[in-house]
Amino acid sequence: MPQDFDVMPGNKAIAHGARLARVEVVPAFPITPQTTIIEYISDFVADGKMKTEYIHTEGEHSCMAAALGASMTGARTFTATCSQGLAYMHEIVAQATSYRAPIVMAVANRTLGWYWSLGPDYSDIMPEMNLGWLVNFVETNQECLDMMLMNYKIAEDYRVLLPTMLSLDGFFLSYSQERVYMPDQEKVDAWLPPYKAPYSLDPTESDSWPAAGIPTQLHTTYRKIHEEVMEDSKKVIAEVDASFAKTFGRSYGGMVEKYRCDDADSLLVTMGSMTTAARRAVDKLRKEGENIGLLKLRFLRPFPNEELIELAEQVDSIGVVDRVVMHGTGGGMAFQDVKSTLYNTGIKVPVQNFIAGLGGEDIPIDDLYAMGKKTLSARTVRPVNPVHYIEHKFPGMPAPQKTNSSTCMHPGSDGCAGCGASIIARTLLNTLGEKTIVVNPPNCSGVNYGQSVKTPWVLANFAAGAAFQTGVYRALKAKGKERQVYTTSYAGDGGTYDIGLQALSGAAERGESIIWLCYDNEAYMNTGIQRSGSTPQFAATSTTPVGSVWKGKSQRRKNMLMIMAAHRIPYIATASLAYIPDLKRKIQKAMEVTRNGEGLAYLQVHQPCTTGWYYDPSKTVEIGRLAVQTGAWPIAEIDHGEFKLNIKPKELKPVKEYLDPQRRFRHLDTELVEIIQGHIQDDWDSYLSMDAQGKLPWY
Amino acid sequence: MVQDKSVIKGIVLSDLKNMGGKYVANWRVFKPEINLDECIACGLCTTYCPEAAIDPREDKKPVIDYRFCKGCGVCANECPKTAIAMKKEDEE
Repeated sequence: MPQDFDVMPGNKAIAHGARLARVEVVPAFPITPQTTIIEYISDFVADGKMKTEYIHTEGEHSCMAAALGASMTGARTFTATCSQGLAYMHEIVAQATSYRAPIVMAVANRTLGWYWSLGPDYSDIMPEMNLGWLVNFVETNQECLDMMLMNYKIAEDYRVLLPTMLSLDGFFLSYSQERVYMPDQEKVDAWLPPYKAPYSLDPTESDSWPAAGIPTQLHTTYRKIHEEVMEDSKKVIAEVDASFAKTFGRSYGGMVEKYRCDDADSLLVTMGSMTTAARRAVDKLRKEGENIGLLKLRFLRPFPNEELIELAEQVDSIGVVDRVVMHGTGGGMAFQDVKSTLYNTGIKVPVQNFIAGLGGEDIPIDDLYAMGKKTLSARTVRPVNPVHYIEHKFPGMPAPQKTNSSTCMHPGSDGCAGCGASIIARTLLNTLGEKTIVVNPPNCSGVNYGQSVKTPWVLANFAAGAAFQTGVYRALKAKGKERQVYTTSYAGDGGTYDIGLQALSGAAERGESIIWLCYDNEAYMNTGIQRSGSTPQFAATSTTPVGSVWKGKSQRRKNMLMIMAAHRIPYIATASLAYIPDLKRKIQKAMEVTRNGEGLAYLQVHQPCTTGWYYDPSKTVEIGRLAVQTGAWPIAEIDHGEFKLNIKPKELKPVKEYLDPQRRFRHLDTELVEIIQGHIQDDWDSYLSMDAQGKLPWY
Repeated sequence: MVQDKSVIKGIVLSDLKNMGGKYVANWRVFKPEINLDECIACGLCTTYCPEAAIDPREDKKPVIDYRFCKGCGVCANECPKTAIAMKKEDEE
């Protein structure tokens, strides 16, 4: 049957899946390599192609909480994340289980924790595996789209009512283009009716939920029932696969997909995108006369025990490929599941484990071929060591370059040409000197400059940068060195205004004598220009695009200066990369305040971003200057409560001069520019009156 | 308790530290050229070079380390004497 197809990355297939499923609420927070999922959805919403409540949350923890709230109030809900973001959601992931909220969440797998990579392995999804969600792995972009639809039909079935993770490999699927057939909306509507929650929080629809937990004695019973439900869901998964095949002409086999298994006497077990390469390896071995088959695990939770046992009875050796290590058990994730499934059956088939593709390394056909060979060899000789790590030779790092540069940073970074963040980082480090510890909540600068600074620079956590820094500071204090070593953050606006605010507020209120420097480029630039709490009104970002419905970001930015001032900390200042002497003086002031143990010093430095604001890279400093001269970025300080406007142009330039060179504002008409101009004038007037007043009353 | 650094396995920090920079000259489309006769040694190009690829010589006039210049043009844009020209790489 001829059908229209399109070529698209997996993330776009997921977004189309959400559109076709008529998802009603989408809480979103960006993290690579999930970002384009929520960007494509924001494009659909901005253009009126998808009617959904899109929530720009301030962090993954909130994102999952919003998803749970929405699902429990009876809306079909979708969200997406991965890696650190998924880990940050963890407690609410656990909660969604027994609230029986049929959320579908796409997890664009990426490795978890330090070593740091954006590439996929299953260390992010492994800790979430046993919380009671259905967990589904996909191999192709078509499967991404199809499973979006199927997962809603499975999850919302009253025999199931469980949240579901759709795990697609970051990069290999999320960003790789493949042919995808797009089902008709009408057909999808007929096949997937709207979600009707059996117990909604909405009092106009159903009984309300009990506020607190259930009696202790019932925990075991309910966990047991949960296991029964997971077991029951296997039947629903098979049903939905069959019904999908009937309606849309594609089938995936339900819990597992078997490839050339019929007469197999050895079995390779895979999941996710590696399966495609494994098929080719199996083909090659088959051509050589080896009877090897391939079992693709499509659902890891519930685990497909029956399918596995059936095949295990037939074969003489099994090799499981794992893209993760379950530390402390000596092997991978699926390996442990396969072994424990077989143990009580009495089937004594040797099971080997291949750990491969960690941190996003490719698993090529040749490697899988070798794994197949090794699996086959175990038919006759039982292997002594069943776990094999597939390692590749590392070519080594290039030798450090010799330069004449006398600053605290080496030249030659990965940063964009014309990046302003390095100018600020260099000014900061050169002023603070070498006895400084930089705590870096994830941002562009961590990636680009973390390796080229000459001081200790540690990658901290997005949501808790200030807490990490507090620990560093208190350790110095415990050693009596707090006056010898400075601790500063190098945080972006996301790590300050949004996800990092709670920890920053805590540190400020406790009076930790640390420097918090926020280089403010008014969006999440590291993940690809998503809006933040600092993004100015009407700016186009990748999650606040301009379309027939949306006109860029609709809200005004947070006034962080006043939020910090509400903490009565000793020193607060804004600065700009275009005014280096002013910035330097403010860093020195922050050093003085923290050295004296007076409390937190907060610096917020404006950083025009050539890539995110779309202007000619040579204009980085010029645009910074224009922001100050037009009043769009007032340069002020609050020194022990004394408010001072440091740069007071006699007359503000029209804001249009600042907006015009930036393509993020190119959609603005006269009316919108006037709104912006009006807000700037109001702010400026209030700053002038505070400047005249001097001391802020609450200090 | 053993506290001898030689027994530590698997902490890679020491291998990665002080990597230094990369040569990025092949990023460049335009190449800045300083006319030292017009240069007044104000230091702005050194301050604002995003790569820290411009250092002052002994007479305070700047010299560009082209191995690390990405050709962004900030120096030329900020030079108060317009003494820095951006020239297309292949038109030399």
